[in-house]
Amino acid sequence: MMQRIRIRGLFAMVAVLAMVAAACGGDETDGAGSGGGNAGEGVCATHPADAGDLLAEICSKGTITVSTDPAYPPQSSLNVETGEFEGFDIDVATEIANQLGVDIAWEEPNWNAIIAGNWQGRWDMSVGSMTVTVERAEVLNFSPAYYFTPAAVAVPTDSSVSSVDQLSGTTVAVCAGCTYDHYLSGTLDIPGFDFGVSPIAEPVVKGYDTDSTAIQAVLSGQADAVMSALPTLEKAIDKGREIKVVGEPLFYEPLSVAIDKSSELDPTSLVDEVSAIVEEMHADGTLSELSMKWFGEDLTVSAE
Amino acid sequence: MATERVGVGETQPPNAPPSGGRMDRLAHASMRVPFRLKVAAVWIVIFAILIFIFAAAKFDTEFMRSRADFILGGLQWTIIVALVSIVLALILALIGAFGRLSRNPIAYGVSGFYTSFFRGTPLIVQIFLITFALGPLVQNLGVSKRVQEFFILDPFVAGIIALGLNYGAYMTEIFRAGIQSVSHGQSEAAEALGMSYRQKMRRVVLPQAIRVIIPPTGNDFIAMLKDTALVSFAGVAVAQAEIFRRAELAGTEAFRPLEAFLLAAAAYWALTAVFTFFQARLERRLSTGYVRAGDEPKSKTRVPTPGPAGPIDVTAAEIPIEHAGPAGLPGQGH
Repeated sequence: MMQRIRIRGLFAMVAVLAMVAAACGGDETDGAGSGGGNAGEGVCATHPADAGDLLAEICSKGTITVSTDPAYPPQSSLNVETGEFEGFDIDVATEIANQLGVDIAWEEPNWNAIIAGNWQGRWDMSVGSMTVTVERAEVLNFSPAYYFTPAAVAVPTDSSVSSVDQLSGTTVAVCAGCTYDHYLSGTLDIPGFDFGVSPIAEPVVKGYDTDSTAIQAVLSGQADAVMSALPTLEKAIDKGREIKVVGEPLFYEPLSVAIDKSSELDPTSLVDEVSAIVEEMHADGTLSELSMKWFGEDLTVSAE
Repeated sequence: MATERVGVGETQPPNAPPSGGRMDRLAHASMRVPFRLKVAAVWIVIFAILIFIFAAAKFDTEFMRSRADFILGGLQWTIIVALVSIVLALILALIGAFGRLSRNPIAYGVSGFYTSFFRGTPLIVQIFLITFALGPLVQNLGVSKRVQEFFILDPFVAGIIALGLNYGAYMTEIFRAGIQSVSHGQSEAAEALGMSYRQKMRRVVLPQAIRVIIPPTGNDFIAMLKDTALVSFAGVAVAQAEIFRRAELAGTEAFRPLEAFLLAAAAYWALTAVFTFFQARLERRLSTGYVRAGDEPKSKTRVPTPGPAGPIDVTAAEIPIEHAGPAGLPGQGH
């Protein structure tokens, strides 16, 4: 005879476990939990609490939720030892939160969910080195660019390639759906920028889920070259990956803070305030300082 | 000199060429070595080859050693996700199976649609849909704000629900087959005794069906342990990151995805081995009353059959009596 009581007990135990897991699921935030907590200072001190818009809600909550994808050092990665997020984007977002006068909480959604817009209020702002493109501008509001990333190409250290034109017709690894993917296919459309023709004619473009995997692909022989952000390539070389950068950067892309256009509450004031903060951070040198810290060079001024 | 090599009651295959003494002696010697030992030897050789390949590939073992703790820390979350999902799946499977067996058009139709959709679409698409599409869908229905917010699911919860729904669909068919495998005579006898449908199911049919259901269900659970990796694509927070997500994070931080994923693979393999062992024990426990003492449920002795002719026909040479099973001859370990 089936031992009904025992099995029921097992079911009950697992059901309780489920509820505990689900309860724990919603509450925990991670990474850098706070941004210095200057509640009462900054923008929130002067913004009317009854304005009923997104900024007012953030101020009353005392926390702004920022999305990040910790798979992209040096912009954003998880420091395994400390359990905190770290990176250029992390620092910039923290500084913006400080200026607003709120704490910061992190979400780690899939990148495709971030660039698609319609965030459902799950997070308020994205500081993720997002390139402003025409398609993205349809669903997201962008601040002025907070830095410009040079895009470069790298090959294995023992490769004989010395200039970018030699890569015509070869296989190039990129992170799928990134601007490098579009650039190589000739479909990169950034308002206000003209990229001309890519010096790599007719490449075979292979997309991977992250830059890290794309670099691995080159090292494993799956691709002849990898195209990615120059700081990312330099970080990889720093960490001992045997690649070398070829030639000069191919283009500079403007990267901005993004806020959902379709949020329930009006995001306009938040966009305006964040844009003002970004411009101030340019003017008083904060951004340059952070850029030197994480990239070793000042990428915050357009090199065009 | 044609030597007759025979098993018990077995005759030499007609085409076998006569063989010399040395092959015979080898066959006889090998007969004395227990089967398990031979299998263990095979595994050792395979592992030796794997270790050789691993060493030759020059992976960054220093990195692997330093990140092992972090990646294995995801173990608890993998198990939690799998356990909660399997419970959800079991409940859905039971309901779905009865739906599939029902004569009620609504029950039959709905359960049919459920199995068709959730078996017919990829699990990762289902995870995406449940995490991101539910919210906007509900919004357009014009329900109250609180209901809307409820449907904007935490990625962790959404992932579990998707896994549960997906595996529930597959397990519905398993449960249905299990229930149908109980002979109809049992059902008729129960009805003749005056049992209601519920009583019949609970006391007669299901207990017998369980035995058929457990092996494929256990199999599904073991498969689900690996599918928990897909939950990370919903955007689960680091605090609840399971093995794969942690491997991804650690690997991308140091630009060593290969080493990180190797560690993850080893972790999943070990986990699978543990659960397979427990499943085997459960199966053996459940099969008491169905298997004769003295038989092994999984026959490790291949009954000698005339195989393709060859110089050594080891199967023909193995005498089954030496491996009589748990209740067999003294001195036989199990």
